[in-house]
Parts: sequence; structure tokens; C-alpha cells
Amino acid sequence: MVTDAGLIALGAGIAVGLAGIGAGMGEQAIGAAAVGAMAEDEKFFGKGLLMTVIPESIAIFGLVVALILLFVFNQ
Amino acid sequence: MLKPTRMTRVMIAGTKDIMEPTLSELHKLNVLHITDYLEENADFKIGKPFKSASRLSEHLLSLRTIASQLGVTGKESPRKHSAKELPLEIDEKITKLQKDVSTKFDELRSIEFKIKEKQDLISAVRPFLGLPLSLDSYHGYETIKVYTGFIGIDLEQKISDVTKNFELFTGEFEKRQIFALFIPGAFEDEVQKILQDERTYVEIKVPELKGNPPVILDELNKEVSLLKEKQVSIDSELASIKKDYSEFITAADEYLSIETQKAEAPLRFATSPNAFIIDGWVPSKKFEELESGLQESTRGQAYLTRLTEEVKEEDIPIELENPGPAKPFELLINTFATPRYGEIDPSVLLFITFPLFYGIMLGDVGYGIIVAAMAFVIKNKFKTGGLNSLALILFISAFLSIIFGVIYGEFFGFPIFNLEVNGELEHGIFFGGIDGPSIAGFHFPVHRLGNVKSLLVLTLAIGIFHVLAGLIIGFRNITINHDLKHAIFAKGSWMMILIGGVAAIAKLMPAIMSKLPVPSSDPVFIGGAGLALLGIVLLIKGEGFISILEIPTLLSNILSYSRILAIGLSSAGIALAVNKISTNLFIYPNGEFLGGGIGLALVGVVVLFIGHLINLLLGILGPGLHSLRLQYVEFFTKFYEGGGKKYAPFGYNRKYTEE
Repeated sequence: MVTDAGLIALGAGIAVGLAGIGAGMGEQAIGAAAVGAMAEDEKFFGKGLLMTVIPESIAIFGLVVALILLFVFNQ
Repeated sequence: MLKPTRMTRVMIAGTKDIMEPTLSELHKLNVLHITDYLEENADFKIGKPFKSASRLSEHLLSLRTIASQLGVTGKESPRKHSAKELPLEIDEKITKLQKDVSTKFDELRSIEFKIKEKQDLISAVRPFLGLPLSLDSYHGYETIKVYTGFIGIDLEQKISDVTKNFELFTGEFEKRQIFALFIPGAFEDEVQKILQDERTYVEIKVPELKGNPPVILDELNKEVSLLKEKQVSIDSELASIKKDYSEFITAADEYLSIETQKAEAPLRFATSPNAFIIDGWVPSKKFEELESGLQESTRGQAYLTRLTEEVKEEDIPIELENPGPAKPFELLINTFATPRYGEIDPSVLLFITFPLFYGIMLGDVGYGIIVAAMAFVIKNKFKTGGLNSLALILFISAFLSIIFGVIYGEFFGFPIFNLEVNGELEHGIFFGGIDGPSIAGFHFPVHRLGNVKSLLVLTLAIGIFHVLAGLIIGFRNITINHDLKHAIFAKGSWMMILIGGVAAIAKLMPAIMSKLPVPSSDPVFIGGAGLALLGIVLLIKGEGFISILEIPTLLSNILSYSRILAIGLSSAGIALAVNKISTNLFIYPNGEFLGGGIGLALVGVVVLFIGHLINLLLGILGPGLHSLRLQYVEFFTKFYEGGGKKYAPFGYNRKYTEE
């Protein structure tokens, strides 16, 4: 039986999952470049780490959408 | 605070005969940031280093060579040497050291080389222990070819197929078969072929020595042990030199570095045949100090004046100036970019918001205590430098974590206070469960997993205020560096969009959710929407039509602050899961304590330990990075330009010498 709650949960899951994949794709390129820069000069560690977490926003947007779905629409 | 140290541009001029005392005094005061003189003209050339410069740097070079040969690291913290006595003994001592150390060091090198040579010979001779021949019997034949090596097959059989005229010796060395084959030169090709086709064959060269292998090895071993004795004695001699001189070397290194710096200083300013001019910056409040110091040391002959002409902002050196607790946060500013002179230095704001965000994310008393303890240890281990600052930042952040841990009522994910979850009462873990306090109408704890919706609104509100603060600082920077009109177009417009947008959306969202019509008569909604529209118009007027594309970034900036909740939820979630799994292992399967036996309980302990360890590591890295990211990406982009250069005064902080 398809219920509203189930569909909402499914939607929340898809939102987090796809956003996570997208963030991962972004981070892999930046992470590789950051490791390369660090191999040249260890001082890039801080900046590299910071650059690498920037796409994480996308995952967080996904999470926000999921939270809104679960806690705002699921009433 | 909030502004870099005020700087005064000064010019020091004088005749060349007072150049040396002037430089000495400047170096001692350690306050003047010298602006390098680059544009030569007919009257003023870049100065030449003092005559002593080349001798000093030569000394420094040989001293550092000696230091590296002896392994002096400068961490021996010797007594302070007098900078007046050092120059008297430095020449003599360095020459003596150089002679002693470098001859000993060369000798050591040659002994090491000889030992290596002998050891190579030993390993070349050893396989021949397996054969009953003297080493000279392998050489000196005209018509006979000799083959030696390891082989895994019966060679005699194969050679017999070619000729019966040969002599073969075999033996064993380290469980491998070694052979020596003597055969007339006429069969060279055939034997070569047999050996080449045999995969187990490994050729061994016979060392060009005379005598029986055991005797030779005995002699070689004796020689090696003699050499090693000699090596040890030279090593200990060097160690005693190191012990006697390491204090001197560290102090002399500092003395010579200082003197070289002074002697080479004229390369940085303008000189004419008879005079010199030094252009530079001094912190305004240290101007008097500079003035009186120069007055005294040159008996008033040096001319010092303030320059008030306009300079480019990025040419003014930047010294950040913050009260003690906010000082470590300068590290985070400098990692991003050194601010410009006219800009706000946001260290103090970081001091407030960075630990706050960190604390909201990692709100757990247990984790907070561990992180604080770690930070404390690091802080005491590294007294200066970046790691020290980082430890202090972490310590302050951990303190906020503990405070928010109390508010959330979490201790390693366990509830501190009694908690109602889905209508069921869960007891706090201390004293069999105590009720949380009620302060000013709020009932604590505010459980994170149970209050997602209100915490989400709270984090977005934090985002709105933080971004707004960034815009206000940007408004101030532009007003001061350009004018009010620019500031209104560039930052005021964004503020209007932000405030108006938030007001309009706050009214619009609930209406949409409950499927009501758009609240078109609500004054707050109309006002907000109007303000936002006005902002957009101003933005387009100021920055061009293309800037419309940037408006959604404002939304994503604000939404980005929801990470404060998200990171915290994931950390709390992991802790909860770890605790659930391990408690279940303790009381499995029928709810009795140790119901599943001691084995399962032990697994529970391991899960608890490793789970919390991983969560703790994530809990340091995640909140730290994300809190920093909110500063760098969401906050700084609203006002921060950077691009200043750091204040680096001409001078030296003496550690091992004193004047």
C-alpha cells in the first residue's frame, strides 16, 4: 500500500542520496588536486582541506530538503 | 581590535658616518618595517653592504656546516652569551672548530667508506667457503675457462654430453649448490649455452685475492672490527666536541645572523656618496620610542620625520592587534589572507562566532572534555607558532561544546537529564536520572533529535544575522574607502534584499504550507517584498543586469548555515547508534544484564570504544572545518578583500645572546 508518509520518506531518502553523490563527485576532483598541491608543498594542507569541503554544501542542501520533508510536510 | 595597528610612515636620514650606529639602534628597537628601495636614480643608489658582510656570512656558513656535522639543533637552551664578548672569541673558535671537526668528519667518512668496501669483499668471498679451493686457483689460466656460480641442477651430466675433459667442484653455501667448472677454452660456446639456458644459474665473480677463503675472511673481519673501533672513538670525540661547543655554536649562530642582517641592511635603502635615507613604517604608538632611541644613539645627528603623503593602501604593512583571547584567531585570518590597512580585522568576530558554531555542532559534555584536554596538552607542548594558536582555538571551542552539551543534555550520546522520547521516559545516566532544570520558561535539556524543526529555524536565523553582519562590515569598508553611494549600491542593496526577502518569505511560507492565499494585505509581507524589490533595482543600477544571477547565492548562503544543525545531528546520531548497539550487546537477548554472556559484553565494550573514538575524530574535524568554512565562504565574501603585507620589523628577538 502506498502511503503519503512512505512517499515522503522515499523522497527524503532520494534527496539525501543524490545530493551526497553530487557532493562526492565534486569533492573527488578537488580532493585529488588538493593532494597534488600538498605533494608539492605541505603548507597547502589547510587550504586544500578547506577547498575539499566546499562541495559538501550540496549534500547539506539535500539534507535540509529531507529534514523539511520529514518534519514539516509529514504532519 | 577590529582594525590593524595604526602605522606611521617615517623617513630617517643622516650622513654615512652615523649609518652604522643608526642601524644598530634600529635593529635593537625592532620596530621599523623598512620599505625596500627599488627605483634607483642618478643621485640615490641602493646601498652597499658593510665590508664585514662577506666575512660574517662566510663565518655563518662554516658555523652552520659544523653545526650540521655535529648535529647541533639549537634546542639545548644554553645560557645567554654576552653579545659583547662573542666577537672577541668567534674568529679563533670557529677556525679551531672547523679544523677539528672537519678533519675528524672527513676521517669518519673515509673509515665508513673503507668499512663498506671490506664488507663488500666479505660478502663476495663468503660463497667460496663452500668450495675446497684457494682463491688463487681460479685465476691465471691461458687455455682453461673457469665458471663459478650457483646452480640448481646436476651440471656434471650436462657437461659430460659435451666433453669428458673437464673438472667440476661442487659444494653447498647457505643451502644452495655452488660450483666451479674448469674446462678447455675450446668448449666455451657450448658451456655458455648450457648455462644460459639454465634458469637456476646465477654467476658469482671470484674476487681477485690470494689464499684460502676462511683465512681471508678471518683477516677481513679483523680489519673491519679495527675500523669500527676507530669509528667509535672518533664518534665519541665528536660527541665531546658537541657537548663542549653546542652552547657556543647556538649563540654564535644567533650573533652572526644578527650581524649579517645589520651588515646587509644597506641593500634595502637609498644612499648617495655621503648620505643615506631609510624609508619605512613604525606602529604609531612606538614612534616616540624610535625617536628617543635614535636621538640618544646618534647624539641627535640622525634626522627623523613623519611622512604624511598619500600611499597606496596595500603598501602599508599590517600588524594585527587583538586582545589576548582573540589573538589565536589571527591565525585563521592570516591563513585566508592578510587584511588591508583600511579593512576591518575580523579576528574578534571570529573569536565569538567560530567557537559558537563549533559548540552548537559538537554539543556533548564528554566529547567537549576530551577535546579540551587534548587541546590543553598540545598547547603546553608547543609554546609558540601555529599549533599553539590552533590548540587555543580548539580549547575555547571545546569549552563552548561543553556548555551546549549541558543544554542538549548529552554525555557521549547518553542523556544527562531525564528525557521524554515519543512519550516514553528515558532516564538520565547520572544519579539514577535527574530532571533537567527550567530556566526562564525554557525546559532543559533541548534534545537535538527531538527538536529538529525549531533548531533548523534557529540555525537559519544565525545565518541571516551572520551574513547581515558581513554585509554591514562590507558597507562600512566601502563607505570609508570609496563613498556612501558606492556602499549603498554594492552592500546596501544586498541588505535590503536580505531583510525584505526574509520578511516576505516568513509570511509567505506558512500561507503556502496551509494552502491559504498569498497574504497580499499583510503589511509585513508587502513591506518586505517592496524592500527586496527596491534592493534588486539598486543592485541592477549599481552592478549591472548580470548581478541578478547572484541573487540565488544569497539564499544558498543562508541555507548553508543549516549545516550547523546537520553536522550536530549526524554526530549525535552516530553516538546514539553506538550506545544502542553496545547496550544491546550488554543485555542481549532477554533484557538481562550480561544475558548474552561475557563474550558479547566484551564486544559491546569494543564497539563502544571504537565507535566513540571514530565519532570523536569526526567531531573534531567536521565541526572545525565547517565552522571555518562558514566564516571563509559565507561571511568573509561579504566584506573581506585582503592582500595586505605583513609587518616585519627590522630586528631580531634574541634568544641565546644578550647585549
